[in-house]
Amino acid sequence: MHEISELMTKDHRSCDDFLAVVEKAVTDQNWQLAQAEFPRFRDALLNHFEAEESILFPLFEKRTGMYQGPTQVMRGEHVQMRQLLAAAEAALAEREADDYNGNAETLLIMMQQHNVKEENILYPMCDQQLADQLDALLPELQKQLAG
Amino acid sequence: MQALLSFDQAPPLAAPLRFFLTAPLFAILAALLLLWSGPDLFASRWTGAALALTHLITVGFMLQVMLGAMLQILPVVAGANIARPQLLATLVNAAVATGALLLASGFLSYQPLLFELAAVLIGGGVALFIVGAGHALYGVPSTNATIRGLKLSLLGLTVTICLGVLLAVAIDGSLALPLMQLTSIHLGWGFVGWSVVLLAAVAFVVVPMFQMTPAYPEWFAGRFSWTLLTLLVLWSVADSAGWQCLSPWLAAAAVLAIAAFAALTLQLQSRSKRARFDATQHYWRLAMLSTLAACALWLAASSWPSLGERSEWPLLCGVLALFGGFMSVMIGMLYKIVPFLVWSHLQNLGRGRVFPPNMNKVIAGHQLNRQMQAHFVALALLLAAVLWPEWFTYPAGLALLAANAWLLRNLLAAITFYRQQRLTIEETLTHVSAAPAEAR
Ligand code: HEM
Ligand SMILES: [Fe+2]
Repeated sequence: MHEISELMTKDHRSCDDFLAVVEKAVTDQNWQLAQAEFPRFRDALLNHFEAEESILFPLFEKRTGMYQGPTQVMRGEHVQMRQLLAAAEAALAEREADDYNGNAETLLIMMQQHNVKEENILYPMCDQQLADQLDALLPELQKQLAG
Repeated sequence: MQALLSFDQAPPLAAPLRFFLTAPLFAILAALLLLWSGPDLFASRWTGAALALTHLITVGFMLQVMLGAMLQILPVVAGANIARPQLLATLVNAAVATGALLLASGFLSYQPLLFELAAVLIGGGVALFIVGAGHALYGVPSTNATIRGLKLSLLGLTVTICLGVLLAVAIDGSLALPLMQLTSIHLGWGFVGWSVVLLAAVAFVVVPMFQMTPAYPEWFAGRFSWTLLTLLVLWSVADSAGWQCLSPWLAAAAVLAIAAFAALTLQLQSRSKRARFDATQHYWRLAMLSTLAACALWLAASSWPSLGERSEWPLLCGVLALFGGFMSVMIGMLYKIVPFLVWSHLQNLGRGRVFPPNMNKVIAGHQLNRQMQAHFVALALLLAAVLWPEWFTYPAGLALLAANAWLLRNLLAAITFYRQQRLTIEETLTHVSAAPAEAR
């Protein structure tokens, strides 16, 4: 009964892990490694947003009729996170460690408080509302998350 | 569902900040009290000055930070919205702050009226908060360990305050109550039922999330607070019934559980995936080490009578728990909460067209680190002052004063930053919207 929660939560954690790898490289001043690792994090995060915005949220909205509710708030936060992601990427390209760390830290907190809302409230609601569509929905989500 | 629909409605910036700015003022008062009363304060835990100091930190500092953080966190973790947050914050903050001042003056003068007024204000302020927050939390299922922990810690706080109020009313001897026993039960609920349960509820979320550690084991996080509260209830009953063969064992079990929590947290922290340790993480580690030391000292003093008879150990435990444990975690958390709040409010003001500088720019990193070093020095000197009061009381008072004036300075710097950036953003926005008109 928690398939959606499980899948999406696991993906949140793997985004965190990719971010940690980049941070480690920046701290070691290994810019080449950091620049090589960053795209993995960026793509994972963007794929996650895309999976929600184009697959999960529309189904949820259609099922519940809540178009202006939590999904709208989540989309707004995705916009903010995309901006932070771009700022972090720019700082990385310039090899500005302080700027990178500041933007990455802000992004991390933004991601975490966003994830808490999704994992505690939105995903459980999706599990409940979309239980009858799992067979089609889960593979589709998995495919989008994988990119 | 209703609450969920509006879960972007974070309270206005001023609501939590009011509490966060009040807290260091009380720690500054505590430092001044230390300097004013001098080495006598450490004669025993029962001196009026020691009790005043304890409550300046617990009710003045810790309670304020907790209330401010709850106001901010409830909408995020529980999707719970507090109605009229601005009004609620103003009233609760004023009542609790005034109450804390009266309580401290009560301990210094033993005027029953001061205790009674303090009881009304603190009790009333917290009751108002619980009604406001409880109203918002009502109907939000306790789906995870955090929400459950927060609810339980509110329960612990309520019991602590009720016992405190009872003590305050009974202090003139009119109620013929066993004051010593009541005090130790009040202390148990304050330190364990409220503070540790709150600390754990926060740790279970914050440590894995921001320090990128493995999660606390489910069996531990799910049972910890309940176990602790159950032990506390049993201990309170055994202690008031005078079952001397039972109550020390229950207390020891609770202390061991707390030590296990601190050790587990340190162990998780050592597996953090983060490459850099920032001020917040150092503060967390110091807090867990202090908690562990306080537990060890407590167990040692209860096992060896020659140590247990000395008057220093309860004071050492108290300093380790309050200044080393709870205050450290709270300051560390403020250093994440406040910059992020400022950034997030600025971000909203910019409406996606103007971007504020990132949150690490809100308070300069070296200011955080220096303040943290001052806090560490203050803690070391306070511990030394318990053992050698004539030598270390004044240095400890000065260090505590410096550390908290610095904390206040850092928080005020965040507000100055917010005001400046808000001006910049507003100017840029008017230019942006004016530009197309000029072009025509
Ligand atoms: C909210 C958190 C509170 C905490 C953590 C707390 C903590 C403590 C502690 C640790 C002691 C014992 C001091 C010692 O044994 O050395 C104590 C004693 C006491 N507290 Fe509190 N307290 C709190 C709130 C209050 C409140 C709200 C009141 C009254 C309005 C209050 C009134 C008292 C009184 C009267 C004593 C006993 C002093 C004596 O018997 O001489 N406390 N408290
Ligand atoms: Fe999302």
